[in-house]
Amino acid sequence: MKGLLEAVIRGLGNGSVYALLALGFVIIYKATRVISFAQPALMLAGGVAVSHLAGTTGFYAAVPLAALLVAGVALGVERAAIRPMVGRPAFVVAIITLGVDVVVRVVVNAFIGRDVRQVGDPWGFAQVELGPLVVQQRWLAMLAVTAALVALLFAFFRYTRYGLAMRAAAHDQETALAQGISVGAVFALSWAIAGFLAAVAGAFAGTGQGIEQSTWVIALKALPAIIVGGLDSLGGAVAGGLVVGVVESLFQSYQGEYAPWLGQNFAVVSPYVVMLVVLLVRPYGLFGTREVERV
Amino acid sequence: MKGRCVAVGAALMVLLPACGVIRGDDDRGGGVRAPGVTAEPCPSAVDRKKGCIYLGTVSDLTSGPFAALAVPITDAQKAFWARVNKAGGIGGTYEVDVTTYVRDNKYNPEVHRQVYNEIKDRVLALAQTLGSPTTAAILGDLKTNGIVAAPASWTSAWEFEDVIVESGSNYCVEAMNSVDYAMEAHRPRSVMAVHLAGDYGADAAAGAKIAAERNGLTFTDVETPPGATEQGRAITEITKRRPDLVILTTGPADAATIVGQAAAAGFRGRFIGTGPTWNPALLKSPAAPALKALYEQSSPGRPWNAETPGHRAMREALPGVTPNDGYTSGWAWAYPMKAALEAMVAGGDVSRKGLLAAVKKLRTVDYEGMLPPEAGNYADDPNTATFRQTIVNRVDDKAPTGVTIVKDFSVGPTARAYTFDGPCFAKL
Repeated sequence: MKGLLEAVIRGLGNGSVYALLALGFVIIYKATRVISFAQPALMLAGGVAVSHLAGTTGFYAAVPLAALLVAGVALGVERAAIRPMVGRPAFVVAIITLGVDVVVRVVVNAFIGRDVRQVGDPWGFAQVELGPLVVQQRWLAMLAVTAALVALLFAFFRYTRYGLAMRAAAHDQETALAQGISVGAVFALSWAIAGFLAAVAGAFAGTGQGIEQSTWVIALKALPAIIVGGLDSLGGAVAGGLVVGVVESLFQSYQGEYAPWLGQNFAVVSPYVVMLVVLLVRPYGLFGTREVERV
Repeated sequence: MKGRCVAVGAALMVLLPACGVIRGDDDRGGGVRAPGVTAEPCPSAVDRKKGCIYLGTVSDLTSGPFAALAVPITDAQKAFWARVNKAGGIGGTYEVDVTTYVRDNKYNPEVHRQVYNEIKDRVLALAQTLGSPTTAAILGDLKTNGIVAAPASWTSAWEFEDVIVESGSNYCVEAMNSVDYAMEAHRPRSVMAVHLAGDYGADAAAGAKIAAERNGLTFTDVETPPGATEQGRAITEITKRRPDLVILTTGPADAATIVGQAAAAGFRGRFIGTGPTWNPALLKSPAAPALKALYEQSSPGRPWNAETPGHRAMREALPGVTPNDGYTSGWAWAYPMKAALEAMVAGGDVSRKGLLAAVKKLRTVDYEGMLPPEAGNYADDPNTATFRQTIVNRVDDKAPTGVTIVKDFSVGPTARAYTFDGPCFAKL
């Protein structure tokens, strides 16, 4: 039981990173109806920015600074590459985001160099005792920061003018425009928020093990998370991210013992298996909106 | 219309270099004596009266997992051949160029094959082909065309290939010697091999298994995917089964994650990682204390600061660089190619066929002390020719590359007795 709970907490910690990334995907999707494949590059940029800033400002100041920096980069990307494509098919814009991802990663890789960069986090692999459980401090930190950011984000959408504008534009862009809401500003804001969240995810992905050029691959695990949770559900993104993290962790801990016939590294594909199962049972995800096609 | 012209122009700018049209890969047609051999001097010749032998390099130069090693390897080989050229070249008639045909494989076998095909008709041989799976992707073509290649990898499969001039012990021997070394130094009763898939990781795991069986140790095999965040299962297996010795065959970041997290979870067994598991940058990682306490590195050669004529020449040829044992490996790997080129020119048949024939006659190579001369045996059968001595290093943050020797070149009883009758990884 102790081992099980420790594996769940490890999964929730890693799942927090996936949840932050998944939130970015969903926020952009709700605003623009486009899945942005630039999230991995923005995540990498965040981790790298923290690794450069932490030496001067310390880790705690470096994270918000890097997040603001990457939010600015995301704003620039939206203005330069995405806004001119408004009105084009969503598929075309999604392909452009793939290109943006490659370009941003090439630039960021130059700031990584060939060695692993450390983000200067205060936790390393240090552990803490929670009653009988022994867990790494960084997983608790990831979980706490994600919970705080999610609470702030939901408050932003619920209680602020801009949040209301974003919800209105997500519901119906034309009506929102008719009511005087700047849909362009909503697009920009959605990219900035997604960039901010991706950067925080990048900083936490680098805790303990550091950031290297291949770290961006982690962000791909947010894709099963958004499918599991539902493409247009913020709560679903959080739940999907955490589910993916926990499932992966449980497979890492127990699959070798209870299902060795699945092969040595089934944990790597387990998030995608969960995604397929959810798609079969609920094609719009656990919390997604069921689309009605009128013919 | 203007936008369309810009788009077409941009597309041409991308496509034409990709096709080699405006990259400067002009065919050096004048005075070609054999593929990759010209009567004309090398582009940056020391003596313009000498001809030029072009050697190709296909390495992990930008974004692959071994770029931190591959770039120093490539730079060291450029410095090595510049030194050879300054000293009179090959047989007094040729200089060697290793800078014109350098390509990036991104550690991807398909890319490796593609860029190899771009340069193969313009080079006599390959001064470097980095990686085991990547080199395997071009092996058939190397054999068909008789192109000699120096690999930047140590899989035991190379012992069985005539066109491959490998230097230093393979991963299989390295792991055998590591287990035998641990029998003296740490007295383990159980061994776990944690390794990447393929003929890098599986080769070492097979060596560990063979040595474990010979020493009567229990053996567990744990294959792990690449990526520091993917090591959860490997760490769980280590902390659950608690082997006395773990033989690691991963990338450096993966190794640091495994050692650091296992130690944090209370594991106190020993780790011995193959050469590529170490990178001096790990001394700045949170895993550094665990690495210092629990980890040792096996290696096919002595580190950067060793006092041999070859090491001294390397350090003199590479002033001001940040020490890295990628330089050491790259420099040492070039000696057999130099010996083979000299024998080829002396024999009078300056061609791929002549070079391969020269390789097959090499029983020893002068590595200027970096490796024992018998490490360069390409004439005998694989079992006789396989070099079986390795080194064990410990982490030392005062050493230039973060490691110092704890056991110099030696061969353990397992490797000494083992008969190489095929690649080890096939026996895992």
